[in-house]
Amino acid sequence: MNGADGHKADTPKVAYTQRSRMNRIVDHLKRDWQLYVLLLPTIIWLVVFLYKPMYGLQIAFKDYSIFKGVANSPWIGFEHFETLFSSEGFMRALRNTIAISFWSLVIGFPVPIILALMFNEILNRRYKSTAQTIVYLPHFISSVIIAGIVITAFSPSAGIVNTALSWFGIDPIYFLTRPDWFRPIFIGTTIWQEAGFQSIVYLAAIAGVSPTLYESAVVDGASRWQMMWKITIPCILPTLIIMLIIRIGNMLEVSFEMIILLYQPSTYETADVVNTFIYRQGLQNGQYDFAAAAGLFNAVVAFVLVIGANSIAKRYSRTSLW
Amino acid sequence: MSGVKLESIVKAYGALQVVHGIDLEVEEKEFVVLVGPSGCGKSTTLRMVAGLEEISGGELTIDGRVMNRVAPKDRDVAMVFQNYALYPHLDVANNIAFGLKIRKNSKEEIAASVDEVAGILGLTDYLERKPSDLSGGQRQRVAMGRAIVRRPKVFLFDEPLSNLDAKLRTQMRAEIKRLHKRLGVTSIYVTHDQVEAMTLADRIVVMNDGRIEQIGTPMELFLNPVNAFVAGFLGAPPMNMIEATIGEGDTSPVANFAGGQLALSKLSELQNSVGRKVTVGIRPEYAQIVTEATLGSVACDLDLVETLGSEALLHTTVGDEPFVIRTETLDKMDTLESVTGFTAQPDLIKVFDAKTGLALSGQTREA
Repeated sequence: MNGADGHKADTPKVAYTQRSRMNRIVDHLKRDWQLYVLLLPTIIWLVVFLYKPMYGLQIAFKDYSIFKGVANSPWIGFEHFETLFSSEGFMRALRNTIAISFWSLVIGFPVPIILALMFNEILNRRYKSTAQTIVYLPHFISSVIIAGIVITAFSPSAGIVNTALSWFGIDPIYFLTRPDWFRPIFIGTTIWQEAGFQSIVYLAAIAGVSPTLYESAVVDGASRWQMMWKITIPCILPTLIIMLIIRIGNMLEVSFEMIILLYQPSTYETADVVNTFIYRQGLQNGQYDFAAAAGLFNAVVAFVLVIGANSIAKRYSRTSLW
Repeated sequence: MSGVKLESIVKAYGALQVVHGIDLEVEEKEFVVLVGPSGCGKSTTLRMVAGLEEISGGELTIDGRVMNRVAPKDRDVAMVFQNYALYPHLDVANNIAFGLKIRKNSKEEIAASVDEVAGILGLTDYLERKPSDLSGGQRQRVAMGRAIVRRPKVFLFDEPLSNLDAKLRTQMRAEIKRLHKRLGVTSIYVTHDQVEAMTLADRIVVMNDGRIEQIGTPMELFLNPVNAFVAGFLGAPPMNMIEATIGEGDTSPVANFAGGQLALSKLSELQNSVGRKVTVGIRPEYAQIVTEATLGSVACDLDLVETLGSEALLHTTVGDEPFVIRTETLDKMDTLESVTGFTAQPDLIKVFDAKTGLALSGQTREA
């Protein structure tokens, strides 16, 4: 009997709370069912393409055979991970991923912010929209075409870059076959392709800054440069932090297609990243379990990075993703 | 002389003219309030003085210097905005110091000025707080602190109290008044609240549709409005306006209404206007209730009694037109429900031309 210690008295209250919570959920569903229907395709997409495949992650710990299937393949523990970390190919891919990600972040993260700040300073509307269109355009072009443009531009025979160099008496450089040139070309290409489109987020944040802050600053005597540093940037700082956290979370997700399209065996030394390593091991060599182990490692690192960046942001500013 | 002079000031956006040649002279240390309904051009006029809007025509001088083409920072004005315009990322001290830092004043000078201003405005305990951690009234004080710390020649206030609740507004109104007395800086204040205008202003400028309707002290405007617009705009509740015809009484002209007649002042223009259609203005506080119809009173139907404590508002109708009476409640509560009409002292009744809305001449009354 629970009556003596008071539990009996608590039970109806708990039941009431649970019932009322259920009622609230049912009420919500009844009231806003149209919104939930709109949400459904996204939930289905998430489940089918992101959650269901997680079931297959277990092959990273199994000696996977496509004939036995995921469930019946024998467990082998961390064997694939041991092989992975003793593989020179994977360690090279990891080093390259970190290097490319680091420089992409250091150089690529500020570019859209600078672009947005510059767009914000353009007073002529027509000029502004033309400039924006030109900068956004590469985002809408297929990576294959972008890679084609880059390959053509850096071609040793007819590329515009080598042609320009020849005007100064410099011999043609085989840019895309030289490991030391791969990273600058790749990082430059991805920035060119995405910086404009990424600047939209910052432009939206800038548009949210109250115009009276600028008017007040004008009366106080601030120049446009001072207003940018003392008003615009501090006011969009929460957005910058959120975007930085997201960017850090995706740090190891180096633009896989672009690398596949631009690299070649002669540049593997600096170009081969974890994703291309997984692609080669998994799809080309048929080592699905080994590739899954590499992919899982990638995901765990990305998860740790997001948690870490979010914790730092929460500690040092009032902004965080959750 | 840090006065402000507006001569034939015009503001146009393309073909659309919104301010039509305003003339106004604000004396040094004077507190002038621009008041009018939304869209009347008062904020635009203030922004032209601040330099935030280009002046389309006319001449603006501050301290005797033409300012039309002078940048806002060089006009030596400070502005307090409706939504405070505080920098959300800066604490109170840095918000107040912003203008001084921009002007590259020395650190010691900035610290001393911020401390002094914080002391004046009672913000000393909040200097390290961010605007989001302050109440509406405190934010408004910070906004004022930011304006006064620069010791400008002219303060410009753009509806600074409209985001505050009624109680805080009353409190802040008094603080602004005290601050002006203490600092003695020429101030131009924009509001659509006639109570703010009446309580704060040395002189009020009533604007309507991009034009100045009347300039004068609060009491001048209250007692001697030049037209029906000014009469209806100032005073709370506003002046009652009823259509009437001027008739000939035994000893003086009278206003004939649907429900009776009221004696008017023995002014020559009224005496010579028998048969003229006019609009009669009677302030709610100048109407005296009657409970039995008498000669010289106007019959009205009582709709509603709003008791405010020491006084009550009687919402009545005269014919089809609404008419509000403000009356004391002390020892009168029993009689309020049995009101059948009202009367008013002839010299407190304003008569306006029914067509033009202009006050008929000779009705001036000393404050």
